[in-house]
Parts: sequence; structure tokens; C-alpha cells
Amino acid sequence: MPITINAPSARPNQNPFSDSDSDSESNSPSGGGGPLSDPDGDTSMLPPAANPTTTSSKSPIVTPGEVITSDPQWMRGHGTYLPPHTTSITSSVAGTLTRTNKLLSIRPLRARYTPEVGDLIVGRIVEVQAKRWRVDVGATQLASLPLSAINLPGGILRKRTETDELQIRSFFAEGDLLIAEVQQLFQDGGAVLHTRSLKYGKLRNGVFVAVSGMGGGGGVVRSRRQVWTLEAANGGGLVDVVLGVNGYVWISKHVEMPEAEKGPGAGITNLEESVSATMYSSQNDRIGVETMREIARLRGVVTALVENGLRVDEEMVMKGYHEAVEMSMMAGEGQEDIYLGGERGSQLAAVLTVA
Amino acid sequence: MATTQQVLLSPAELAYLHASLSLTPPIRPDGRAPNLFRPLVAETGILPGTNGSARICFADGTEAIVGVKAEVEKTRGADATEGGEDAEEDNNREGRSEWVELTVEIPGLRDDDSGTAFLSAMLQEALLADGGFARKLWINRRYHWKLYLDILLISPPLSYPLPLLSLTTHLALLATRLPRLKSEGDEDPFFDDDWAAAPYLYPRDKKSSKALARPPVTLLVMAVGRNIIFDPAKEELAVADVALAVSVGEAAETDDDKGKGKGRKLRLLSIRTIDPPSRLTPPGVPNASNAAYGAAGATQKQPEARMAEAEVVEGVWRAPRGGAKPLVMAALVQKALERGGVADEVLDALDGVDLG
Repeated sequence: MPITINAPSARPNQNPFSDSDSDSESNSPSGGGGPLSDPDGDTSMLPPAANPTTTSSKSPIVTPGEVITSDPQWMRGHGTYLPPHTTSITSSVAGTLTRTNKLLSIRPLRARYTPEVGDLIVGRIVEVQAKRWRVDVGATQLASLPLSAINLPGGILRKRTETDELQIRSFFAEGDLLIAEVQQLFQDGGAVLHTRSLKYGKLRNGVFVAVSGMGGGGGVVRSRRQVWTLEAANGGGLVDVVLGVNGYVWISKHVEMPEAEKGPGAGITNLEESVSATMYSSQNDRIGVETMREIARLRGVVTALVENGLRVDEEMVMKGYHEAVEMSMMAGEGQEDIYLGGERGSQLAAVLTVA
Repeated sequence: MATTQQVLLSPAELAYLHASLSLTPPIRPDGRAPNLFRPLVAETGILPGTNGSARICFADGTEAIVGVKAEVEKTRGADATEGGEDAEEDNNREGRSEWVELTVEIPGLRDDDSGTAFLSAMLQEALLADGGFARKLWINRRYHWKLYLDILLISPPLSYPLPLLSLTTHLALLATRLPRLKSEGDEDPFFDDDWAAAPYLYPRDKKSSKALARPPVTLLVMAVGRNIIFDPAKEELAVADVALAVSVGEAAETDDDKGKGKGRKLRLLSIRTIDPPSRLTPPGVPNASNAAYGAAGATQKQPEARMAEAEVVEGVWRAPRGGAKPLVMAALVQKALERGGVADEVLDALDGVDLG
């Protein structure tokens, strides 16, 4: 069957189109008041008549401009504001309400990445300027990568020259993907990146997938390790996974440092030289079919995690990957079947949430 | 015609995607089989103010809604004094293509953007291609229905939205009902105000409530090397050699078609080539001519201009050149039209949607 078409899921709070005349029996009876109805029921912050829009909506999601409460006993937190001359706490984002004691805050459903110094990110060059690149990192603004913040080829940390400025596109051109670190932040939230490490630089030999950075439960979370190498199943060899904190993910074949250049005479001093040789290459190595298959499987795991609202970190990806390999063994088509969309994705997520 | 927006992918990514899609069987980045569509969520009758509506969304959040509105309009050039013989009335019914107005709206793109205009022209062409559709809008010699199809993509276009919009339009038209006509002959039309009695635009079987005829569907098919891939995602389309929009409708079964295996007889309504964005992508630079490659990179004082026409190097992206090969085009159409093939199964799946 090449296509599956499902009816919309029957979750009552996910059906924004249920109107009064469509006989939707699936809608659960309204579970007592608005988003702030206390489970223990001692304080009702919302007088039902005061805010008909809130009380009629059965979902716990609040929208921008929605009055959460006008009771002065609550304090406002992130994602809320007080309109001038009032004391009613109003939501400024669309998201779910969380309460910490007397503090009310809204967790946005979807938010752009907010850079922080030291974040490991995957970015894409969108613009080349005279002495810097502009990089899309999924934040509100483009980040900038100055020419002075990259490792120039030719080994030793040398000064950048006019020649480098002229051939700036030979390092990174529009569309190129790179892995970098946030070095510095501007007042307005714009980030400055650097790639002055052997771990950073241009990406090749793999696939890219963008998942939402933060909010809504899913997406990449900051964790101890954002980059790791794994031994893929079914003879896939070594595969690198890079989870950018900004929600951009890169999955590629692991490339060893060039052995030949590590021969006699190559020490710690000119290690940089041998590595930087391949740093700005945009030519892929030969990649086996097995490796490509496992890379696609890993990509499927990441998208399945995101689509089912699970967090994406090393633990979940590894667990999900092993589970996906098991699942394909069980399935009829064998290990060549790597599809993890739709129903299989939710199956995978169900296994992961139970375990 | 330039129809797809430029996608920004690095040459290394393009080379990888092209290599994995050229394998036999191809490995698609999302692991789908070549003829597998992305799973959809569909419902109809979502907009109470329309004659028919539908919504379809993908798991990645791409979502489209279509609303169909009908209006009674006086037929231009109709002669009111003429009348009398109603004997061959059914044969005299003639539809005109201007009775259908179709607009596509895609967020972030202007209404008169060439891509949007092309999309709506393509969908309208498929709809009117069999000539039978406009005939359904005939009321009498002096009046006709004017049908407005509003096709809205709600989310930003994460992939080329043609198949999504086409499937949504298909469902909306299936769900469309027009008020029942009470007046007779060429008098001013007068309608039954009981909505429950309103007949469907596409008549249905009384028992199974399945549509007897159905609107066309437009499928997006692309080829990489010798592989034929259906419903390509954005990054797959970015490395396509050829991309085609194939509009398929149901053809009437004749007697000698019976017993030719399962599935319906399909009719090709239109084909359009889609200019794949792959042709606009920058080529990769082989290591041999990369100024920043190798330890010698820095010493190279006069960097050569990028080699315009390099020979094919493995692992380096090179945009496809030249036209599509006729054999590949033929194979694409053949694959889409096969009895019991993809288009057939898509229509089957659309049959399964509850039309409410």
C-alpha cells in the first residue's frame, strides 16, 4: 500500500475544528473549567463568567492575549505580561501553562533557538560577506562567522591575508553546512560563531535534518554530549551523529584522520596540518550501501522522536536506534526496511516511553 | 517554467542524496519505499460555510485546506427567448471553463508569483481536462453554477505542495454538495432549502455512499538515474533529474476491459514538467581543484577560477544538464498509470476517507 490516509486523531483537545453542528461524540465532556482549574479544586482563579473564551476551550493551551487570571495573588513568569493599567496576567505566547507555587509561566509550543555562549551548533551559510559569513542557526537572527574565527588551511595558526579574503568562498560558500560553537553574543541576541577547533568545520558524507530546537517537549535538549560516534548495525560501520543545540542534526559516515599523513614526522605539532587538509573539502568519500541505509535509519529515528514529542539526545537516539533495528528484524521485509514514518514511528515512540 | 523555489543545500549533501537515491533500490532520506507516500491525516466538511471542504496534513506539519463555494450566475450570451424543445436537453448541456475559478494561496508567496500561478493553472487544467466537470455546473440554459475553489496552504511550503493540494482539492470536491433544484426548465432557478436533500456534485452510490465518479488527482513523480520516486520531499526534489506532475482521472470501463485484473482503468489527463531546483544548484568543487584543500592551500597565490566544466568525479555534486530522456519520461508516466499501480492505490485510499 503506497499511501495511508488516517482520520484525524480523536484526542479531544487536538481538534480545533470541532464545531457545534458536527456531531463529534469523541469530544470528552468538558473537564471542569479553564486551563487553571486546580486539580484539588480549592482555588478557582477563574470565575467562569469572567472569561468565556477560556472556560469554553477544553484544551490546556493558552494563546497570546488570553487572560490567564486577574487574581493578584499570582506572580507572572516567562511568557506572560501585564497589560498597562490592569492586574490581569496575560499570555504573550502560545503554549502550555505551568505553575510553580505562585509563579505562572507559559512554556511555548514552539520557539526559536536562543543562542548561548558555548553552544555547539550546526548551521548553514546563507550569505557571504567581505570578511564574514552569515549563518542560519534557527535563531531569530542570522549568526555571523568572521573570517578570523576559522582555522585557515595550511596548518599553523597563521594570520589571515588578503588572499584569504578574496577566496572566502573556497572555505564556505552559500548552502554549506558547518559545525561551530557560539563564541560571543551581541546585546540583541545575535551570535558570533567560531570553528577554531579540529572538531569543527564543514560537514560532508551525510544527511541533514532540522528538528525544532526547544519547546513542546520534543526536540534537541542541551546535554552532556552532543556529538558521538556509534557502531551501526548490519555492517554499517562507524557513523557520526551531531545534535546541534539549535535543533539542526547531522548524521554522517565517520571519517578517520588521514593515516598516511600521520606517518613519521607527524606529531602533535602538525596534527592540525593534516586534519585541516580535508577541512574545506566538499567532495564526499565513497560510502557503502550499508552505511547509507543505517544513516537513513538514524535519520528516521530522529524524526520519529520529534514527531512523537520525545526529546532528542544521545540516550534516546541510541535506544531508538537499537529498537528500530530490532523492529526491522521482526518485520517481514528484513533489515533493508528502514521506514520509520507514520504508524511505525508511533510504535517506536511507544516502546521508548515504556522502557 | 521555474516553479520550485530555490533550496539551499550544500554540494556535499546534494552529492550524498543523489548517490543514495541512485542506488537500486534507492535509499530515501526518510526511509520510504520509492512508491510510498508520506502518511496523511485527512478530513472533510470542516468549514460549515462552504459547499464542500477538506483538510489534509502531513506528519511534518504541512497542512492544506480547500473550500468550495458555489454561486448561481447568469450564463453569458444565453438567449432567453429561445426555449421550447427539451428533448435533447442533456446533450445540449455545455460547460465552460470560466465557470470554475481556482485560487491557490501559499504563505510567504505573492498571489501573482509564477509558482503559485503555475500550481493553480495545473490543478485547474487537470480538473477541466475531461470536459465533464464544467457540465456538472449547468443548471439550465440561462443559469449555471459558478464554482470558487479556494486552496490554502496553511503551513510554509516545506516541500513542493502540488500533491498535497491536489489530494485536498479532490476530497473537497467529493464532499461538495449543491442545493437541489426545484424549478423546471429555463425559468429562474429555485432551490430546495433542505440541505440534507442536496445532491453531491459527484454523485454517489446510494448503498455504499461511494462516489461513482471522481475528480482527478495530480501526482508528483521524479526520477533519479533509473529510479522512479513518488511524492518526493523537498530535499529529494533538489537532486531530481526529471520531475513530472501527472494528472490522472478515472476512465469509464468498457466491456473488453473487464477481467483485465484488479484496479480501475485510468486516464491520463495532463502532464507537466516541473523544473527541479537541482538545475540551479551550485556544483561541488573536487578536491583536486579546491583552493582551500590540502596543505598547499595557503601557498596558492593565484586561485584558479572555479572550473566551469570539470569531468565527473565521484562524490562531487554536479547539477543535471540537458533535457529529460524520452524513455525515462515514458517510464514515469507508465508507472503512474499502471493498473493497480500507485495512482490506483491513491484513489483507493482516498475512497476510504469518511466523507461525512
